[in-house]
Amino acid sequence: MPLSDQPGGIWTALVDAWTWRMAWRDSRTERYRLAIFSLAIIAGVAALVSIHSLKASLKRGIATQAKALLGADLQITSHRPFAADEIADLSARGRRIAQEVSFSSMLYFPDSDAARLVQVRGIEGDFPFYGAVRTTPPEAWGRLHSEPGIVLERATMEQYKAKEGQRVKLGALELPILGAIDKPPPRGNRFGGFAPEAYVRLSDLDRTGLLAQTSLASFHIELELRGGADAQAIKREIADAYPDAGWRMETPEDRRETLGNALDNFEQFLGIVAIAALVLGAIGVAGAVHAHVSRRVPAIAILRCLGCSADRAFAIYLVQTIAIAAPGAAAGCAFGMGLHALVIALFRESLPVAIDARPEWIAAGETTFSGFAVCCCFAVLPLLRIRRISPSSTLRDGAAPADSSSSWRTWPVYLVLAALLVALALLGDPHWKRALSLVAGLGAAFAILAGLARGLVFLARRAVRPRWPYLLRQGISNIHRPRNQTLLFLLSLGLGAFLLCTILLSKNLVSRRIDLPQFAESPNLYLIDVQPDQVEGVSAIVKSQRLEVIENAPLVAMRIRSVRGVPVRELEKRGSIPKWVLQREFRSSYRDRLNATEKLVAGNWFDPGFTLGAPTPLSLEEEIAKDLHVGVGDELTLDVQGVPIKARIASLRKVDWSRFNLNFFMIFPPGALDRAPGFHVLTTRLPAGRSSGELQRALVQAFPNVSAIDLTLVLETVRGILEKVERVLSVLAGFTVLAAIPILAGALLNGRDQRIVEGVLLRTLGASASQVRAILTIEYATLGALSATAGLLLAAAANYALAIFVFKVDPTLDARVLAGGFAITTGLAVAGGLFLSRGISSHPPLAILRGAG
Amino acid sequence: MPGILEVRHLCKTYESAGRALTVLHGIDFSLRSGDSCAIVGPSGSGKTTLLGLCAGLDNATSGSISLDGRLLENLDEDGRASLRNRLAGFVFQSFQLIPTLTAIENVLVPLELRGQRGGEPEAARLLVQVGLADRLHHYPLQLSGGEQQRVALARAFINRPKILFADEPTGNLDAETSAPIVEMLFGLNREAGTALVLVTHDPTLARRARRIVTMRGGSIVGEQENAAL
Repeated sequence: MPLSDQPGGIWTALVDAWTWRMAWRDSRTERYRLAIFSLAIIAGVAALVSIHSLKASLKRGIATQAKALLGADLQITSHRPFAADEIADLSARGRRIAQEVSFSSMLYFPDSDAARLVQVRGIEGDFPFYGAVRTTPPEAWGRLHSEPGIVLERATMEQYKAKEGQRVKLGALELPILGAIDKPPPRGNRFGGFAPEAYVRLSDLDRTGLLAQTSLASFHIELELRGGADAQAIKREIADAYPDAGWRMETPEDRRETLGNALDNFEQFLGIVAIAALVLGAIGVAGAVHAHVSRRVPAIAILRCLGCSADRAFAIYLVQTIAIAAPGAAAGCAFGMGLHALVIALFRESLPVAIDARPEWIAAGETTFSGFAVCCCFAVLPLLRIRRISPSSTLRDGAAPADSSSSWRTWPVYLVLAALLVALALLGDPHWKRALSLVAGLGAAFAILAGLARGLVFLARRAVRPRWPYLLRQGISNIHRPRNQTLLFLLSLGLGAFLLCTILLSKNLVSRRIDLPQFAESPNLYLIDVQPDQVEGVSAIVKSQRLEVIENAPLVAMRIRSVRGVPVRELEKRGSIPKWVLQREFRSSYRDRLNATEKLVAGNWFDPGFTLGAPTPLSLEEEIAKDLHVGVGDELTLDVQGVPIKARIASLRKVDWSRFNLNFFMIFPPGALDRAPGFHVLTTRLPAGRSSGELQRALVQAFPNVSAIDLTLVLETVRGILEKVERVLSVLAGFTVLAAIPILAGALLNGRDQRIVEGVLLRTLGASASQVRAILTIEYATLGALSATAGLLLAAAANYALAIFVFKVDPTLDARVLAGGFAITTGLAVAGGLFLSRGISSHPPLAILRGAG
Repeated sequence: MPGILEVRHLCKTYESAGRALTVLHGIDFSLRSGDSCAIVGPSGSGKTTLLGLCAGLDNATSGSISLDGRLLENLDEDGRASLRNRLAGFVFQSFQLIPTLTAIENVLVPLELRGQRGGEPEAARLLVQVGLADRLHHYPLQLSGGEQQRVALARAFINRPKILFADEPTGNLDAETSAPIVEMLFGLNREAGTALVLVTHDPTLARRARRIVTMRGGSIVGEQENAAL
């Protein structure tokens, strides 16, 4: 029985040797074109593998280093000193105990007469219990435990040209520098501060006199538990034993979770980049396969005429696709693993945890397979056309292309494709809604571009006027001629421009948040930890430097005890309010007016005739009110250093947090918190070009506990961090560019033969090569410009949505990205199109015309 | 002799620019096994459309076609493809060789499609017979028009067809190149006892067939038998 009569032909055909032989033979003259297809897969899979490997490495790094990242089995943090009996009790629960006190202070370098804000860490005990501290010289850390001295960060020493043995002044105490820290002990705070760290003995810290004056100190107890002890169980026991202590406790498991959360956005961005790169590669695949099938229509029609079934014809080209996609995916996997190793080697210092460049086999395997499957699905869409190629095409010259109308067979492919993309999105971000939104967004972009392309063909048909110059008329007419590739061209290039510009615009949204010019009128020097009795003195010193005290805000630390009468513990169980809101320490203030960066959105500002009493009126920031599900009139109970205070929400405020003014979630009327312990923050503004050194030196001499934070230095630090992150992101975004190159080639290859034949025909009729090139330039420029416009409009819309829903900033567009995107997309379309059409002037017309026949 | 091809009340209508265009009107036509028939007529008279429908390359709008007793309208496209593979051979004006296959590979395709192996000696014999002994492993682009059509002839006869459809087989060839092709076409037709349906503008070629059917405006307007044959 002839094979073509057999039922279930596709599977039979796929395993038949002839199908594979025919696939091989058929590729003979097409291999360089199929290489484009292979390149697209390599680029897409490489991006996917490298990004997911990086994520896997980060996760593995966090999982394996959690203990070393914390340095202890349990860390307890308090904002007040631990009492002796508390220390004794906690010590009894573990094998070893260490103590640490940390706060910001000015460090004075007498030799260079300069002061620098540092994060002082006074340590006692063998902390860290896990992981090692490295110093230069190596014995410096050991000496710190047995003799007076200080260990500084290498950058601090270099900045002030300080040497080992040189003396520095911390508060009232002069200490010799013992060495530089190379690998510091784990930090008690979740994230490192902006100030460099300085390490001293806890006993020396007492002698500085700073501890008695500062209100911003953190007190830590680190425990090493006995073998087999359950850190989480002991944490619960301590929480039960000290329910009102307000301690924060952290185990290695918690830190792993915290770090994981901190990396969440980074991973989310990586996930989007990975999918974008893969989809770009896959569009390139679809374009290349579409071009390939278009060229093979006559051969397929002949095969059909000679008795080849639709299934078997389809199988031949499916086999070709698989045979090229599989090694392409393998090469992409290898390339991606190489990129993964390269990114780790280049950006090891910028990553939040130490990771080695070990291959992530499981991630690489999973993503290679997924990438391969997605690329094959994209390839199947144009391959389905083969089934509709009629054998009657053999009877007419220049066999007609297949009917391009949609077929019911394409829908299962679209469904599988959507499912695969959702699965991949979930690999990058485990939230269903976000994964679905991402894939739905891509689908919507696809549909909009397809609609635009159809609209363009319609318009081009009606827009052309007989009075137009011939070259222009011909160039525009090419857009709507039969067998035009307008739809595919717009889809490929438009989606490419859309995805690339969206990534660039998102990057700019983040960068814009720290733009310096917008802070021209804001304070740029903060004086913190000013005790109430020091406010006058500090203000006098500021004024003596011919500077203005812009703001003077008292700060009082407090926590939420209950919301509308429901205790925090109960609310935590319900889970309706974010945990960080319920657990955070609010630094609140009191004043009688709104500042320039906030405005009232509900309720009334405090009545001037306000009299103290319970409940105390409170003005709440609107976003935190949303998180707490409260409004004007609702009551909160606050814990101010152990004292409960009832507060009723009198108003809600909208605050512009992007300005560096003194802003707070909670503001009380003057007098309400007068007796609560706290400190003041004063702000001033240094004129451009003036250093804060002189003021800092004057302050450190008179008020050593007062810390000066120079915003310009902080911004430099932030900028340094962001530059590192941006470098990593730029490399990753570069992958998407890599994946976009085959798209261009795929889009341009489509219809290339048709254009060449038409061009040669025009040349035969007497057109010069430059006239033919002009027609092609008009056509490619029109298509490129429209693809760019459509892609950029979509990118602008995506940027708008990302700004509002993700980055929570005012949506603005970076015109440079849009202009650059437009110019590059259009330029590449024209340059690439002309490059691929160069055969018109280099081939003798006769050869091409014979071939066309 | 039994009928290999039976056409009854055949109509074909295309939709073009929103209008229905009928290109064949109620065609009735039959052909016996081993017989030969030339379809002639001016351009646009429906000759090639009729040939395509008879070969099962397209669907009729109405009417019936029976090929070796099988009604084409009862078969789907794959069923018709299978029938073509077993019963029919084709020769086209533009040769229609697969450009990525060598001459012998092109000839072997119909056998390979039915899963038949070991056809190389027969393919080589046919190519030698059509005068291409030294061109077996050449690609179509390396062959002249006449040589390409000879490869097409060899391919048309490799599966020992019961019926051969030829659409302007000499349309792209000059008189000198055409003559041996025509001789081979009819020679092979005679040797294999194959029925032949030939569409042509060439009166000389048409006169080589036993019957001549004349078409105009989508209808058969005349039919004559070649008494000499």
